[in-house]
Amino acid sequence: METQDSKGKIIKETFPSEVVSIVGDLLAGIVLSLLILPFDSFLVLLLMIPALLSLRGNLSGPFIARTSRDLVIGNFSKRSWIENVLATYTLSIITAIFIGIFSIILNLIFFKLYILSNQYFITIPIISIVLTLSISVPCSTGLNYLAFKKGLNPNNVVNPVMTAIDDFSTVFCFFLTIIMLGVP
Amino acid sequence: MGLISGTLLSSNEEILYSIPIMLLIIPALNSLTGDISTVLVSRLTTHLYIGTLSPKIKISERLKEDFYGLLITLLLSLVSLLFLGYLVGVISGIKIINPLLMSFIITLTILLLFFIMFITLFIGAIFLFKRGMDPNNFLIPFVTSLADFLTPLFLILFIIIFI
Repeated sequence: METQDSKGKIIKETFPSEVVSIVGDLLAGIVLSLLILPFDSFLVLLLMIPALLSLRGNLSGPFIARTSRDLVIGNFSKRSWIENVLATYTLSIITAIFIGIFSIILNLIFFKLYILSNQYFITIPIISIVLTLSISVPCSTGLNYLAFKKGLNPNNVVNPVMTAIDDFSTVFCFFLTIIMLGVP
Repeated sequence: MGLISGTLLSSNEEILYSIPIMLLIIPALNSLTGDISTVLVSRLTTHLYIGTLSPKIKISERLKEDFYGLLITLLLSLVSLLFLGYLVGVISGIKIINPLLMSFIITLTILLLFFIMFITLFIGAIFLFKRGMDPNNFLIPFVTSLADFLTPLFLILFIIIFI
């Protein structure tokens, strides 16, 4: 599959997914600039958002890449998928705790805004990333499988589409989490 | 890296409030750089595993095809982003200051990042593969964080320089 990919094929397969990704990310941008910006604690919340977007990319990116690699080289199995999912969730929760701790430290050093209590710094990243992954994991597995079955290269197609879904769901789940927790 | 990026954005609140379109397009810019780089890492890794790219730092036909393919995809995506971003900005009533100069700054940021990423990832993938490691596991987290940090950094830097 990869051996035959000319630049034309790369463009043909990657560009449409990239447009989908851009649309999803602009929706995330709307949530950010219209729904999260009005919060009193916006500057503190903004501290966590890029980290959560990175975390989502850092964990679901390799998850998608490993799944597509397994499909391309014929190593895909239920067991390898379950191991992949468990590893992704465990790493997400551990990293979300670190995001919370480092956000507290950065806030104390640079901003000194005491609008949020420390428990919010820990619970917001954990809840929002678990919610996001619960959308991301089934979607990306399904897309990987569908792309492969249709003869498309999952490496070219799935990542950009999932970035759109994931970035929008990260910002939206973040918004839902701060609403649920009653963040000022 | 993500937290540094957040700190960078939060500490430049005057830019965020005076150029509100920044908040609208930052997720799209971050993911555009991240997506293209992730596709590159995934492709390089698969090429290395199936042997269509030799684990040596040299320019090959396979590498050139990937470079031009991804560069053209990036440019087409950038045009779509600028068009859709402008449209969404107008519809949602978000203020757009100096659209031509902003388009130039965004293009400059994305192209600069693409060249940095391509060279770094190619060398990184070869290096990791030669040591028996899966480049996907190391480079994708690295590239996503790097893109999320460098995109707002270059964007803010160019805004300070040009606006």
